[in-house]
Amino acid sequence: MKALLYKEFKLVINPLFYLVALLSALILIPQWLYFIAPLYFTFITAPNIFTLSKTYNEQYFSASQPVTRREIVRARVVSLAALEMLQTLVLTVCVIIKLTLWTTPNYIFMDGNLAFLGLTLIMFGIFNLVMLPMFYKTAYKIGVPVILATTAAAAFAAGIELGIIYWPFIRFIDGMRTTAAHGFTLIAGILIFLGLNALAYRISAKRFEKIDL
Amino acid sequence: MNILEVKDLRKAYPAFTLRDVSFTLEHGYIMGFIGSNGAGKTTTLKSIMGLVIKDGGDVRVFDEDFKANELKIKQKIGFMMGEIDTFPKHTLSVITGAVRRFYPEWNEAAYRGYLKRFELDETKKVDELSSGMRVKYSLTLALSHNAQLLILDEPTSGLDPVARDDLLEIFQQLIEDGNMSILFSTHITSDLDKCADYITYIKNGAILESCSKDDLIAKYRMVKGTAKQLEAVKDLVVSYRKNAFGFLALMETAKLPGNTELAVEAPTLEEIMVYHERGVGNHESAAL
Repeated sequence: MKALLYKEFKLVINPLFYLVALLSALILIPQWLYFIAPLYFTFITAPNIFTLSKTYNEQYFSASQPVTRREIVRARVVSLAALEMLQTLVLTVCVIIKLTLWTTPNYIFMDGNLAFLGLTLIMFGIFNLVMLPMFYKTAYKIGVPVILATTAAAAFAAGIELGIIYWPFIRFIDGMRTTAAHGFTLIAGILIFLGLNALAYRISAKRFEKIDL
Repeated sequence: MNILEVKDLRKAYPAFTLRDVSFTLEHGYIMGFIGSNGAGKTTTLKSIMGLVIKDGGDVRVFDEDFKANELKIKQKIGFMMGEIDTFPKHTLSVITGAVRRFYPEWNEAAYRGYLKRFELDETKKVDELSSGMRVKYSLTLALSHNAQLLILDEPTSGLDPVARDDLLEIFQQLIEDGNMSILFSTHITSDLDKCADYITYIKNGAILESCSKDDLIAKYRMVKGTAKQLEAVKDLVVSYRKNAFGFLALMETAKLPGNTELAVEAPTLEEIMVYHERGVGNHESAAL
């Protein structure tokens, strides 16, 4: 597993992808659609990882090594989730900066707070749950899985933003003014993120074990 | 002891089927796996390694079921499928840095030795290497982790005659050192004339022959005769080719008529393969 993760970060993931995490700083823009900042990960980083993996014939390389197919999938899920957590971590720093610098809330859309971080993680979990099992059906078709996974993540974000305007429950989550309440949403988001990734791994591994390379 | 035992291996594709492929490789020998393009050599090797999911059959390596002991077994196999075509924009040193982490028994001295022997420059990127150099790098990786079984798909294709000869010499040395067995596929049968102990011949997805090279050659004879003599043996030959002087045919030694006036000689592996692939029939020689 360690060797597979080394291969992921050394051979597949281009160091420039880490810079995409800096786009999290977009949430410092006042009164903006903050979900766009983490969505850049699904627009740029994730599709490129899968495209490079295909270009490099990486699945075949990995399967030729003394590892199981389940381990190959696990390494990809872990590396993808690690990059998503990095994106969320930079987002967290930006949220702290934002909350420190100015206290004016976002009057129209979701505010940049701890609850937003939790919902971002759920969005990443949804992306992974669609992307990974669809990709590992063939281990080479990328287009449709990327389109559907990005759409699912964006639809979740749009649902939250619309909910802020139209649905009292979502407005309630965003509108809560105590850090503890927002923290609860963040913890729930972390748990759901882990759960969705575990589910994505289970389905993907099962599918990857059945295909010819 | 059987190092590799393949039994009734099956795999069906829409346009091709691997049918009940069975053969065994004993410890300390080199087996050549021959067949024409598309006969099923690569599919068989990939099925053995689990890269292609077999429909049925058993693969046992080092006397253990491959599927149940995959990780342990793969550690002791050096595997290469032709020239390396992964990570074209990475340097060899970066790729090796990743590969060596998969093998606790990585032999750095052996790796350095093969790099030197094959004149490979670690600072080069994969796509800067010629086809032959890619094969050599691929082989270097397969030979550098103290494997006990080498499974190599077309290791000699793309190599110049000197490099091919060098590689066959390496195979001989590895076998002589006593702890290695080699299964390699090729369609360059002259390589096998030089170093193979056993031959497994696959045709249209089924094993036609799997025995020692000497037994295989002894099993067949090339016969030469006049057009008139052909009529008498036409139904007994594997296939024949007519020419201006008469005919040339491959025949099973057991079917050879007694006291024959036909000119009889031992066939080469190439002749066995070519005459089997042509099938029974009247093949006029194009050259004559």
